Amino acid sequence: MPKIKISLLITISIIIFLISIFWGLRVINPFYLNDIDREILLSIRLPRVIVAMLMGMALGASGAILQGILRNPLSDPYILGISSGASLSAALGLLFGFYSFGRFSIPLTAFIGASLVSVMVGAFGWKRAGLWPERLLLAGIGLSFLFHAILMLLISISTNEKLRIALLWMYGDLSMIDWSLIPYGLVLITTGLFISIFRAKALNALILGDEFAHSLGFSVHRERLFFFISIALMTSASVSLGGMVGFIGLLIPHIMRFFIGADSRILIPASAIGGGTLLCLADFIGKIIMSPMEIPSGIIAAIIGSPYFLYLLRRRDVLSL
Amino acid sequence: MSSVYNHSILELNQVRFMYSRNKDLIDNLTFSIGNGEFIGLLGANGSGKSTILKLSSGILEPSNGYVKLWGKLLQSYNNKDRAKLLCYLPQVFDINVPFKVRELVSMGLYPYDIPPEIGVDDALEIVGLTEKSESYITNLSGGERRRTFIAMTLLQGAGILLLDEPLANLDIKYRIELLRLLRELQKKKNISIIMALHDINVALQFEKVMLIKDGKILGFGNPKMVLTEGMLQEAFGVTFEIKKSDDGSMYISYENMIPSVPPVNPKNAFG
Repeated sequence: MPKIKISLLITISIIIFLISIFWGLRVINPFYLNDIDREILLSIRLPRVIVAMLMGMALGASGAILQGILRNPLSDPYILGISSGASLSAALGLLFGFYSFGRFSIPLTAFIGASLVSVMVGAFGWKRAGLWPERLLLAGIGLSFLFHAILMLLISISTNEKLRIALLWMYGDLSMIDWSLIPYGLVLITTGLFISIFRAKALNALILGDEFAHSLGFSVHRERLFFFISIALMTSASVSLGGMVGFIGLLIPHIMRFFIGADSRILIPASAIGGGTLLCLADFIGKIIMSPMEIPSGIIAAIIGSPYFLYLLRRRDVLSL
Repeated sequence: MSSVYNHSILELNQVRFMYSRNKDLIDNLTFSIGNGEFIGLLGANGSGKSTILKLSSGILEPSNGYVKLWGKLLQSYNNKDRAKLLCYLPQVFDINVPFKVRELVSMGLYPYDIPPEIGVDDALEIVGLTEKSESYITNLSGGERRRTFIAMTLLQGAGILLLDEPLANLDIKYRIELLRLLRELQKKKNISIIMALHDINVALQFEKVMLIKDGKILGFGNPKMVLTEGMLQEAFGVTFEIKKSDDGSMYISYENMIPSVPPVNPKNAFG
């Protein structure tokens, strides 16, 4: 059964990938490419679709992992404060005139901020030689509020027009994407994915609780640290690629649990594929539905995903609630 | 190898542990168990039963003293090797993730690179959950969940089982079945079991019991010797009356301990 479902998921994902690169305001015939078509395809559509896929994969997978290690179904990767740290850092970079890396500047400052915050959250969550889920969660929420407040303060007292650009960018604007960032994102996100898929058994055990994980032969603190690093890599990379997109990290893992099961060895890759596909679809719809105006992909993702999620929730056989 | 069987397979020596500073929960705890022993760990709430099991399994580490497994320090084992020898089953499992019964049971194989001879289906059959193998754990009753975890434990195949109140919240039928099952395993496979309990009448059926109070061992040995009225009074703070049934087995009588509820006069009840 899972094999059929995974094949179905991959097929849907490929179809949506192909639709988003060939369809749009200008429909491109893949068998008849003229120079303009080739230019649109290679310089605009392909990098954008790839970034949407990568971001969605990172968010879906880190959501599935985080809900597991925190043993909390309401966790989403942004709860760790990584994204608000990235926003604040990008805004500070702009305010203090950090332009030395050209169009890399915002993603770079965002990534630096995200990495610093990951280390900070990890440090707050660390006690007695290990990371503790409740501490991680509360540290993330606390830091999130702090960074958000500072960012709002900056916005309210600053007259710098650049700040608005940073803000718009942070809320998931994929229209400025080009190829330059993709290699970095690809490396970080696939590294994070591999770490977590490789250790998925340990995640299953951690979901049962630390005592079970210990009894089943896992080093609880070491495993949790690996997963935290994996989440930090993926979330930081995703935020610095294209800002924040809500919904996916929280609900895709739940949808995939209904669809494909709770075993992390399948759930992590499935959430990655599901997240990537949904963000790609949402970006595509947001681009064409009211063009030339673009609707942020996070909004579309929530509009498509939430009703489906609510429908699944009605089938109570898989939930103990 | 034969000399090994004369030795203890799990040994705690002068173990000390405290949860918070200035308050020793466990102090100077020393005991050992031999191969194939079935031990009931009895004590009031908060007496330290769970802590003793967690110390024995390495989940908690003693601040003083040591725990040895098969003559080697517990910490010196690598995690997977330890998991093949010793298994701890916690008392509470709150699981809100919809794993299927089969998925959960098969996690018992995680310590192994090459699966041992017993399979998931065998384990499910032993605990009587074959028909539920595709059900979600979140939809099972408390007793079925517990049996699922017992099946996982069986699959893990460890020679020492540390079970924290495995009988709690189980219907009488499953209590008896589970005890019978564990006894069979102990006899057939020479598995050693330490089981935390709070039912004195169940403890009286064991070959060996350990009576605990405030993290200290009040008595360890044959229940007839350990579970005397005086010892029970000290451990639980209640005076029990131990009676002998016609076949010579002992039991605790709760008669005269609980004031009987007076019959309700229907006239009064309905005003």
